[in-house]
Amino acid sequence: MSSISSTATGSHGSSVHDHVQGHDLTHGHGHGHGHGQSFISKYVFSTDHKVIGIQFLCTTLLMLIVGGALALGVRWQLAWGMETMPFFGLLFKTEGGQISPDFYTMLFTMHATVMIFLVIIPVLAGAFGNFLIPLMIGADDMAFPVLNMLSYWFMWPAIGFFGLSFLSAGYGAAAGWTSYPLLSALAEAAPGSGWAQNWWLIGLTFVGVSSMMGSVNYMTTIINMRAPGMTLFRMPLTIWAMFITAILQAFALPVLTAAGFMLVADRLLGTCFFIPAGIIVNNADPTVGGGQPLLWQHLFWFYSHPAVYIMLLPAMGMVSDMLSCMARKPIFGYKPMVYSMAAIAGLGFIVWGHHMFTSGMNPALGMTFMVSTVMIALPSAVKVFNWIGTLWGGRLEFNTVLLNSVAFVSMFIIGGLSGIFMAAVPVDIYIHDTYFIVAHFHYVLFGATLFGVFGAIQFWYPKMFGRMMSERIGKLHFLLTFIGFNGTFFPMHLLGVAGMPRRYANPYMYPYLNHLLDMNQFMTVCAILMGLAQFLLLGNFLFSLKFGTPCGRNPWNANGLEWAAPSPPGHGNFDVPPICYRGPYEYSSPGAPEGEDHWMQTDPRGKGWKPPAEH
Amino acid sequence: MIRSVFHRLLTAVSGRPAAALAALVLCGAAQGCGRQEAQFTHRAGFENLMPEAQSYVHEALEQHFGTPTQVVAWEQLPIKLHAAAGAVGAAPDARSIAVNYSQQNLPIEPGLQTAWLSGPLLQSQGDPAWVEAVDVAGRIMFEQPLASVPAEGDRVAIGPGEVLRYGRVLYAEHCQHCHGVSGDAQGPTASYLNPRPRDFRRGIFKFTTTTASNRASRADLARVIENGVPGTYMPSFKLLSDAESMAIIEYVLFLSMRGEVEYQLVTQLGNDYSNQAVKDRIDGGETRKGILDEFTGMVNGGDMQEQFNETVESIVTRWVEANEPEAIIVPGAKRPPATPESIARGRMLYLSQDLNCVACHGEAALGDGPQSYSITKNAAGEDNPTPGLYDEWGNLVKPRNLTQGIYRGGRRPIDLFARLHGGIKGTPMPAFGGKKTDEELWDLVNYILSVPFEVRHPGDGLKEARPVVEDVEQVATR
Amino acid sequence: MKKFWIALFMLVPILALWSCYVAPERGWWFPGTTGPYGGEAASPMGRRIDDLFYMILAITTVTFIGTQLALGYVLWTGARRGDAGSGEKAWFSHGSHNLEVIWSIVPAGILLFIALYQMDVVAAIRFKSEFPEQVQNRPLAEVTARQFEWRIRYPGFDANGNLLPLMADPQPTDLYAVNDLRLPAAQPVMINLRTDDVQHAFFLPELRVKQDAVPGLTIPVWFEADRADEFTLLCAELCGWGHYKMRARFVALREPDFLQYLRDLQAQQDYDGVPDAADEE
Repeated sequence: MSSISSTATGSHGSSVHDHVQGHDLTHGHGHGHGHGQSFISKYVFSTDHKVIGIQFLCTTLLMLIVGGALALGVRWQLAWGMETMPFFGLLFKTEGGQISPDFYTMLFTMHATVMIFLVIIPVLAGAFGNFLIPLMIGADDMAFPVLNMLSYWFMWPAIGFFGLSFLSAGYGAAAGWTSYPLLSALAEAAPGSGWAQNWWLIGLTFVGVSSMMGSVNYMTTIINMRAPGMTLFRMPLTIWAMFITAILQAFALPVLTAAGFMLVADRLLGTCFFIPAGIIVNNADPTVGGGQPLLWQHLFWFYSHPAVYIMLLPAMGMVSDMLSCMARKPIFGYKPMVYSMAAIAGLGFIVWGHHMFTSGMNPALGMTFMVSTVMIALPSAVKVFNWIGTLWGGRLEFNTVLLNSVAFVSMFIIGGLSGIFMAAVPVDIYIHDTYFIVAHFHYVLFGATLFGVFGAIQFWYPKMFGRMMSERIGKLHFLLTFIGFNGTFFPMHLLGVAGMPRRYANPYMYPYLNHLLDMNQFMTVCAILMGLAQFLLLGNFLFSLKFGTPCGRNPWNANGLEWAAPSPPGHGNFDVPPICYRGPYEYSSPGAPEGEDHWMQTDPRGKGWKPPAEH
Repeated sequence: MIRSVFHRLLTAVSGRPAAALAALVLCGAAQGCGRQEAQFTHRAGFENLMPEAQSYVHEALEQHFGTPTQVVAWEQLPIKLHAAAGAVGAAPDARSIAVNYSQQNLPIEPGLQTAWLSGPLLQSQGDPAWVEAVDVAGRIMFEQPLASVPAEGDRVAIGPGEVLRYGRVLYAEHCQHCHGVSGDAQGPTASYLNPRPRDFRRGIFKFTTTTASNRASRADLARVIENGVPGTYMPSFKLLSDAESMAIIEYVLFLSMRGEVEYQLVTQLGNDYSNQAVKDRIDGGETRKGILDEFTGMVNGGDMQEQFNETVESIVTRWVEANEPEAIIVPGAKRPPATPESIARGRMLYLSQDLNCVACHGEAALGDGPQSYSITKNAAGEDNPTPGLYDEWGNLVKPRNLTQGIYRGGRRPIDLFARLHGGIKGTPMPAFGGKKTDEELWDLVNYILSVPFEVRHPGDGLKEARPVVEDVEQVATR
Repeated sequence: MKKFWIALFMLVPILALWSCYVAPERGWWFPGTTGPYGGEAASPMGRRIDDLFYMILAITTVTFIGTQLALGYVLWTGARRGDAGSGEKAWFSHGSHNLEVIWSIVPAGILLFIALYQMDVVAAIRFKSEFPEQVQNRPLAEVTARQFEWRIRYPGFDANGNLLPLMADPQPTDLYAVNDLRLPAAQPVMINLRTDDVQHAFFLPELRVKQDAVPGLTIPVWFEADRADEFTLLCAELCGWGHYKMRARFVALREPDFLQYLRDLQAQQDYDGVPDAADEE
């Protein structure tokens, strides 16, 4: 492969020099050296993919706290709605801390916004994508380091604009994270539909631009900058997942960005893409023009359904790597794993209509979406079977990484199976916009993705900082989160079947929902437990920076290229230019050097060494 | 140092997970502490009073009306306060009494308190008597024997203030976020609503079936709660039970009366004891101490108490009168059929100089009359900030566009009749009752109800003012 | 400690299955008042939807138990192999082609079955041409959602007391109600669903009916209540701060009662406040 050989010599000038410098870094002096770089260019406006990845990670962990606080506000309202709400209630002093219903709509809107756009997407693609891609493929940095830096710094305007949204009248956008027009299109429609909605849309655009920059960079880097010997089918599944995610983003994001601009234009320039004629809201003048609100739903979900996989695939990839390492066993069915990820991505583009089964859509089209949506369960099922197959016959190390990864699989089974219910149009008609949906996507996005991320933090933390995170705290964090998570979200399935609609500030004024109050209070207690448990993660993360056990290059005895680099890797990553000799999952291989159960990709040794067959 | 703390923490947590868990749950519980109380806020103008007058008004209100969470059930007010009230019936004993009810508002349930409004138990300082049950004969049984046996005819309230308490809970759940804790229409969702929610504190409600000079009756409030106000954000609360609706109405009346008392006090004291008045008086040669002494004298044993009682009395009288049959508008004639003739007569009335409907509602009844574009004056005689008509609360109001078929006060003929007869209170919509005969008002109602179905052609203008009936006759005779 | 973690993971399916098992008797299941646990749908179409739900539930439960047991098994054996001193190495395998084929084809078949099996129900609910004969182009009421209530318009009666058809535009004879939809029971009925402002959704949980009201569109919705009874009607699409306030009811009436209701509505709507009207009756 010609592209590989060119990479090895470095695609940009400084890399060779950096390789030499890298030797110092094994002494644990922290990141990059020399060049007279100032603090700002080293740690703030850094073009080093590792620094950017860590910046992303810290930002998203901060945002996790914000999003979690908003979520607890939502939970509190559902459990003790007419009483003083802690913290947020301070905004409603005369009301005795009883929040208003529009504030509640803001809470869940901004919770979703923060969690999706500022936590999950950036923590996967931004933090781990950035940190891992060059290390795992044996590159010295991203293809476009400056673009990479910009992709991080475009997050901050987004955070700033979302923050402005909080400061606007109504305390934030309140039309749901889906922002369906006309609620989001007409400023008169709700307190949060004024400038808060404009800031929200502009913030969304910045998130989109940031993701787009990342996506272009990842694709280019993965295609062009792999180390010698790193063929496509020797790439770890994490890289495959990041690659597919980048493609998804590249194709889906422009649609959302366009839709966002159209909505901004509707709101500020008087266009009528989404606004039909003659609508009178809040006794404002009737609307003019012949727009179609359903157009937004098509455009929005054309992005946001693939976005669900953007929020899941990288975690799937990382969990595959972690499971394989902790089971000391090759991944079961490497190629089916790759193909199923590709299938998920492909099908992901033709299932968006299932969010609109109860809207006005041609029913024939609805049937098509139903078939494609049901079928997307297939590649997911194949992946689950393969993960179980990976653990099957493994020699499991029950550490935090394994626990979180197994939780990923276990929770993903629940989230995946509950998805089949809503893929079926008639059943979806009933459960649409009930808590069943809320249960489903929290099982996928929190139960699966976030447990994957917790595992990944534990797993790659030594590579990031050269120290291990505490296993004890990690396990305690896992235990509390796991209990709190299931206690919070499993009952939501039952609430949904019982017909409790989502986004209700006070469901209990409906007699048929009255008896569900107890269950909601139980869920809120679990949610508080889970929320508090995250401080363990935060504490563990911060304290281990200084007090964690220092580790060598490969504390987990893992195979990937990243473990051949120093911990933490210096600027330019590898002190010895890596050459890839085999796939990433050769654990417990009979061909491995004597006495070792791992066989690193860079390891030229081995009994009867021969070129590894492509499986 | 920090490191050792961290390690100790590590061992502590891993050694005793149960303890750590308990600590976490405690932290969670601690979040719930520090419960805030809802508070009544004071109206505009209160801040302009001198501090002593402010504290007088504040205390007077708190004494007679309490706070949202500690509502005072003031017997003086014409409000259903208690779950039930009446006189002690035959054969009372220490464990049970019969009651001849004068009012029964809510079901009597175990756990309700009993309050004695007269007789020997009125003064007793013992534990309140809790209702244990109601026996088959309807006698109230108490959990504990009473301190003494009440006499037959003693007045008793069961569940004192229970209606207001219930009303307050429901109000907080359904109404407060718009109408505000004090009924001041300053709730968190109020600010962006068009039209603004009702401010109860003037005692004025727009859509009533009482005559122009009267307050709203309970039936009027009940109708608005049941049907909502179409075309506004006041939704229909049709599915509230009768008891819930009743409790909310009583609480709204309570807030109205409280607001009116506050309004009167602030207005009265504002003449002599506002900061500005005090400053003027000091400039005029009086001393601050003199003014203070005068105020203190008036409050302590002076005529302030009397004035206060008179104020309350006049407010109470108006609310009592509003529920008397004489206050209700009853048309003197049945509604005539909506014949073309009747509609044409109504149209003539609509266009007449006399009623001058067109000044606001416009010739085509689109709600675009010249008044809706004119600069109008506010209560203080100043120009309003934007052209248009304003209501008592200083909000811009648009004359109704009658072509839409949306009638905020209800679409029954009687509703429209009452609107014309009694006007829309607190707004520039005048009352025509007495000015025009009931038959004429019915013609006008018939015309208004026909407006949404008028066939309009381009170029139709004033010529529609000609009674359509003539055209019909001409065509027929031709 | 390993056993503890495996137990923790296995607790999830156990508790999940337990909570679903006890859910009906504790009221954590479908809303309704009939059926053994009061959760039976109150419409024939609702019962077909429930049947589909239970079919999917059965399939997913089997899959769920299977995968979770498999997970527990591999964790258990993996833990024993990982014990210090066991000396066993992990099983070196890159997978099995046959297994992959089996666990692709079998789920594919099941999923395809699930998808195709639903088709006729979807058609019956949504295809206008598949609507029952009686309701074809015969809406009985127009339901208009607005922030935050349901305004209902019925056709009125002509001079001879016959029910008129519902017109697209308001008529002088129309009858109005709010938050209280009443239609005949035990026969398919159709409404026209509109919205005055933002998007809402017409949701009858006991009948398993849900349809969004999209601004600018008039959408026909048909359903059939089994019996004369009162059901909940609520909004299921975020429509602003008062989304939860759109509490209304759907009352299914016997056909004569329905006509009587409309006549009562007419009498109420024509009430002119003159009391002798009542005395004459």
